[in-house]
Amino acid sequence: MWKGFKKIINNRYTILVFRLILGGIFIYASLDKIAHPEQFAKIVYNYKILPHSLINIFAIILPWVELLCGIFVITGIFVESSSAILSMFLVVFIIALSVNFLRGLDINCGCFSTDPKGKEEGAILLIRDLVLLVIGIQMFLSNFRRLNNAK
Amino acid sequence: MKLRRNSIIREIDFIKLFLNGVGIIILASILALFYNSFSGRGISLIGSWSNRILSDSLIVPYSYQEGDPQAITLSEAMMEFQSSNTIFLDARSEFDYKQGHIKGALNLPFEEFDDFYPKVASKLPKDKTIIAYCDGTECELSLFLTRILREKGYQDLKIFFGGWAEWEEADLPIGKGEEP
Repeated sequence: MWKGFKKIINNRYTILVFRLILGGIFIYASLDKIAHPEQFAKIVYNYKILPHSLINIFAIILPWVELLCGIFVITGIFVESSSAILSMFLVVFIIALSVNFLRGLDINCGCFSTDPKGKEEGAILLIRDLVLLVIGIQMFLSNFRRLNNAK
Repeated sequence: MKLRRNSIIREIDFIKLFLNGVGIIILASILALFYNSFSGRGISLIGSWSNRILSDSLIVPYSYQEGDPQAITLSEAMMEFQSSNTIFLDARSEFDYKQGHIKGALNLPFEEFDDFYPKVASKLPKDKTIIAYCDGTECELSLFLTRILREKGYQDLKIFFGGWAEWEEADLPIGKGEEP
């Protein structure tokens, strides 16, 4: 059973689909933030995690890293590094969401849309991030292994 | 021996992985900063975020009618303040303005509009967002000012009715005397 599962997730087509999903989602998520830096900075501010002096610079750079890594993951350039970065982002997002979930702050996630009306349910967000994280880690590992085996 | 070689390969791979990662982030940062400075929608690198949680109530004076420029709240004004495409316009008297105003705001007293407008006009491009404010919620100078400006052909006008009172209360950046 476990072997079968491993075979499926290490299948090259599965990995291709994973790459499209992970890359596509991050590219999509980055565009609205790039277009509306002010609103995104406000959302970052609302998370109340970063010191105020870092909010804007974070809001300016983060979407571009998402965009580049998304493109790289899909096109297959620097897949290991890109998927590692995206996985780290997902860990950070999960922590940030959980912290505010526990604090009881009702905030806008700012995941895909900077529009305040685009509020989503906390639990769903967490599950979505966790699923993406599994995909990200799997992609990183499979590429890293492939690289090592090639040597 | 074989094991050692293997671990060296792994180490090299991790270094490469790390360097690629750093490279991606540096490249993204360069693109981001470039875009931020030239897109016209950029924000300042270090924002001015107040420590207070801002109440977002929007109170408008009675004279405010449908069709008047959009009224914005303190937090919206704060967001606009970060944008390089926005000009704040103080509709109060020169005396009040010199006592203290929103940092970077220009002074165009409604009551002395004809005297002041020729001086200020050159600093008020019509393609920028202009946010007028005055003392606070009860104050209508900003509203009247935007009505005149609209007749002069300004399109992108907003009114921050919370005005100087809310801005100062929230401990946001202020300027005194004349702006350079």
